[in-house]
Amino acid sequence: MESFDILAGIFEGFKVTALVTLYGMMWAVPFALITGVLQHFTRGAARVAVTCVIEFWRSSPVLILLFVLYYALPGFGIRLSGMTVGAMALGLNIGGYGSQAVRAALQSLDRGQVEAGRALGLHRLHILWLIELPQVLSAMMPTFVNQFIQLVKGTAIVSLITLTDMTFRAKQIADAQYNPIGVYTSLMIAYLIVCYPATLFGRYLENRVRIEHRGSREI
Amino acid sequence: MTSSSTPPAVCISGLQKWYGRYQALCDVDLNVAANERVVICGPSGSGKSTLIRCINQLETHDAGTIEVNGKRVDRSTPRMHMLRRDIGMVFQHFNLFPHLTVLENCTLALRKARKMKLAQAQEIAEHYLNRVRIPEQRGKYPGQLSGGQQQRVAIARALCMSPKVMLFDEPTSALDPEMIKEVLDVMTDVASEGMTMICVTHEMNFARTVANRVVFMDAGRIVEQSDPRTFFSRPSHPRAQQFLSQIL
Amino acid sequence: MKFDPDFALSVTPLILTGLGTTLWIAVAASLCAAVLRFIFEILRRSNRWLGYVMRFVIDVIRSTPVLVQLYFIYFVLPFYGLTLPAIASGVLGLSIYYSGYLAEVFKGGIDSIDTGQFEAGKALGLRRRDVIVSVILPQMLRNVAAPMGNYFVSALKATPYLAVIAVPEMLGIAMEVGSNSFRYAEPMVAVGVIFLTLALCISYVVRLLERRLQIAHQR
Repeated sequence: MESFDILAGIFEGFKVTALVTLYGMMWAVPFALITGVLQHFTRGAARVAVTCVIEFWRSSPVLILLFVLYYALPGFGIRLSGMTVGAMALGLNIGGYGSQAVRAALQSLDRGQVEAGRALGLHRLHILWLIELPQVLSAMMPTFVNQFIQLVKGTAIVSLITLTDMTFRAKQIADAQYNPIGVYTSLMIAYLIVCYPATLFGRYLENRVRIEHRGSREI
Repeated sequence: MTSSSTPPAVCISGLQKWYGRYQALCDVDLNVAANERVVICGPSGSGKSTLIRCINQLETHDAGTIEVNGKRVDRSTPRMHMLRRDIGMVFQHFNLFPHLTVLENCTLALRKARKMKLAQAQEIAEHYLNRVRIPEQRGKYPGQLSGGQQQRVAIARALCMSPKVMLFDEPTSALDPEMIKEVLDVMTDVASEGMTMICVTHEMNFARTVANRVVFMDAGRIVEQSDPRTFFSRPSHPRAQQFLSQIL
Repeated sequence: MKFDPDFALSVTPLILTGLGTTLWIAVAASLCAAVLRFIFEILRRSNRWLGYVMRFVIDVIRSTPVLVQLYFIYFVLPFYGLTLPAIASGVLGLSIYYSGYLAEVFKGGIDSIDTGQFEAGKALGLRRRDVIVSVILPQMLRNVAAPMGNYFVSALKATPYLAVIAVPEMLGIAMEVGSNSFRYAEPMVAVGVIFLTLALCISYVVRLLERRLQIAHQR
């Protein structure tokens, strides 16, 4: 099989890869934002609870999360599709990391901003929504791009729960015709094609954020 | 002196504040009448900033009472954010919102806190940007302005809310010397319109020309207060004398 | 099939026999990753074109899933005469993958040391070599220790991937228990709890270490 054919065969799995990535982002981004903000604002028992949730999803190895959700949930009467399990495990795991970035960004924001908002008589939620989050979100774009890349790479593990993504396809082809060099090289190239531009974009964003923020702290 | 029927704008009695075991404010009593201009000065660490930040509860006090515009404020006051709309504050480091333009900085609180429509808020903002003499900067971002310009925007932003009392926390201390005058001129202007002002500053000329009363603090206490002429020519407390001899 | 907690408890000791393997894989991978990264940094700074090549290599490593890199090493290298036992392939794969991420560790480590330190050393009359060994290296190691601790935790959480190349670490054992007993839910939950506990404990220790180093390092 020519290398181009191999690549084409692998890309048949792209739809599943893309879907899992998309659904994963739909879990990851809201989870990161909500838990990051909550962790920043809550105290005491509430904060402990939020931290526990975050740590559970963040500190467990993602492969383990995937297998636990896939194999163990049926034992508790919960039946989810492989796609849902894959998206949840990946999304919440990566969202857990994202929440730390959100929290760090909120913490690093100049306290004077919040004080100025309070001095003007703005409600705390208004301050969060209008002053803290806008400033934090633009600084966090590189992080979100990074999360996207991590997700795309993470989808490779759903091949282990029989979802027919690019990695699954590659293994099929490799088993069929015993040309591991060609197949796995093509697989690496396939992921490169998807992720490398995103990596470059993330680097471009990082540099832009740095330049933008250089001007604004002039005193 | 104002007539006894007008309540004082700010009424502080027996104020105490601790940071752990360190007492930042000891037994502070201060009454500021409407339209009065009070300058608070003193060595660093004397509690001046802490005192005015207690007035709008950016810091909370541990004992004593504070009344602003006739209402009691302390850490348990519900909906403090609504009371803060009638108290304006200008910070040493300006604290402008970097992601908003100059105009947006001024209209934000009007739109969200006072629920004004955009057009009306912009009109008010333009009026005050004119007052502080930088109307042409309305579309710029804070990062594009000089320190003096930023502080003037900060003053305009606070004035837009039509506060009854303006608090200034060392407004010129973070500025390069050549920009201090433009900010002091704006503050003098604000004073001349009759605004009640409480100002923590080291700018003694400003105190001399604009203030009705100078309050000198040392180690958390008000040690001396008098009208500017008396304070600068014949300070009675030794600490005040020492302070003045060092800075004049 | 309903979840059986007793069964889960009963298979836990068996799974824990893989703990040692898991730990030493993580240690080996972290150390090798650091060594690889160090070599990379030296190469990168020596020659401009080599720098670009290395940068590209790092981007490739970061843009492809670790699972795919493991497959590549395990299935492809034997064709070039390099047949490593599964564990060695696994450690090699993880080392290469994480060496791609240690940029921040080394940047922080090398660049962050005050140039004044070097000048002070020279001014005292120390030879360049002595300055490096006695002044720069200790500070660099201290800067590097805490982030390395975090990467150790990451490597630990990546060891389950090695199960797909038949390494007898904890997930591998859990999978075997599952296939022998036809009950996957219980061993998966057991191994999940083990990894979560492990990751949380070690993270805690790393954070304590960070704090101790911070205190000693205060200027």
